[in-house]
Amino acid sequence: MAEIISERLLIASEYQQALYSEPLLRPSVPPETAAVILRYGAMVGTEIEHLKQAPRCMDLARARIHACEEEDRSFASGRVIIADRLTDGKGRFLRHWHAPDGGLWMVLTLVNTLLPEHASLYSLAAGVACCETLRHYQLNATIKWVNDVLLNGRKAAGILTETMRGPKGGEEYVLIGIGVNVNNTSFAPELRNTAASMAEFAGHPFVLAEVTARLLAKLAWNIGLLHYAEAEQLAAGSGTSLNDMPHPLIAAWRSLSDTIGRQVRFGFNVALAPQFTAKVIDIDDRGQLLMRLADGQMVCENGGEIIYV
Amino acid sequence: MQDEIDFDQILSQYRSDPFEYIEVKTSHTGRLQFKAKEEDVVEGVTGEWQHIKGTLLFHLERERNVKPVHSTVIGVVSTVERSLDGQFVEAGEKVMTIRHPLKKREIIERILRNVLTLFPAPERAKYFFALDIQSRIDKHGQRSISIRPGDEILTMSLMKRDTPVTYQGEPGIIHSVYFSPGETMDQGQPLIGICSEDKLPLIQKIIARVKSEWE
Repeated sequence: MAEIISERLLIASEYQQALYSEPLLRPSVPPETAAVILRYGAMVGTEIEHLKQAPRCMDLARARIHACEEEDRSFASGRVIIADRLTDGKGRFLRHWHAPDGGLWMVLTLVNTLLPEHASLYSLAAGVACCETLRHYQLNATIKWVNDVLLNGRKAAGILTETMRGPKGGEEYVLIGIGVNVNNTSFAPELRNTAASMAEFAGHPFVLAEVTARLLAKLAWNIGLLHYAEAEQLAAGSGTSLNDMPHPLIAAWRSLSDTIGRQVRFGFNVALAPQFTAKVIDIDDRGQLLMRLADGQMVCENGGEIIYV
Repeated sequence: MQDEIDFDQILSQYRSDPFEYIEVKTSHTGRLQFKAKEEDVVEGVTGEWQHIKGTLLFHLERERNVKPVHSTVIGVVSTVERSLDGQFVEAGEKVMTIRHPLKKREIIERILRNVLTLFPAPERAKYFFALDIQSRIDKHGQRSISIRPGDEILTMSLMKRDTPVTYQGEPGIIHSVYFSPGETMDQGQPLIGICSEDKLPLIQKIIARVKSEWE
């Protein structure tokens, strides 16, 4: 317990330092704008819970929400649960998520207050935050649509985003589960060719608390950016949509992604049921993937997965 | 139920005029230029992935961006608001009507909409049934599933974020399913049709009658 508490305090202290340095890492953003963005993202990490082991952080987050609502307490938006290892990690379609010691396994829970148009970008924001974290350590990470973070084509970080309605109040909670291979370098046989870790590519291990703190700071920035962009759009007046005001998160995603221009195989569950092959042309202002099929026709997808071919 | 809805009258209406008149409206403001005229035959969306656009109906230009608008249904252009050609129009302006010939299946669906509670898609996204609902459907069929307001029956998948969708409507059983997993549904399109169990015999009677009377 004492070890967990001191680790949590270390993360909290590193997080404060990382947050302070975020604006300095973004010199193109005016300081007053950066301050506004970080104020919007300030709820990230309001509470940090650190465990040695858990079955799934997502399930714990749901249990915490249930407990708060049962007791008529407000749930602290931005609460983070971190576990050193997961015994029953799951990805999309209940795929097994391998989460041993050395990796960063967490869930960030937010109370959603964004309009649907902007709330649809939570997944992208988490992907950008993860990729920016790896790049902060001079790793050449890229994003594969929607939010897989790759090192030399192999997956270093994965994100699973789910929404939950509060059982009593009907509040909408967004649960962003994130897994980053930091110091864990040995993978299950079926993952050896597709998984990568930060330590493997850097040639040295990382201080996990420091990486965790940096990720939280990047999440604070990018979640803050969602709220900032929404506020700007609303201030611009009724009738203004994302089509009229380019979203800064989309620009950030484009600068980090290697998906545009690639030949991909697409499917709702691409591993089990691939649907078609196409060339990625761009993403639109809502983050939807624009692809050109072999017959020259364009398709636009807002849900599904891709594999690079 | 028979007292509330006169199916004889509804069927005879469809027999005398087996078409749906679809109003085509502008989705935003802009300068309008028609590309189709009255009596033109138009095609809807086709292709294995519903990726081949239908017949071009008009251009809508705003801020030097020209947006082509295509037909989403097969049919014949029945009216065109010629006075609007070349003019600046508002969003939601009705600009033409397409006469769409109804197939037997479509007539059945339209009649059933009088007795079914239709549950619409809250957002443009992909939908699939919640895991426990899907496993019950797989085991016992969809008409064995009773749902009530507040039940989480669907999952909406948008930008790799899964959101449970709670049913709001009359309690009943799932009679019709209008989506396939992995298929994108537009906001407002019906996802499922619900009816109370006591209406099932009536619905089966309607379907049998249309199937037998319609060529």
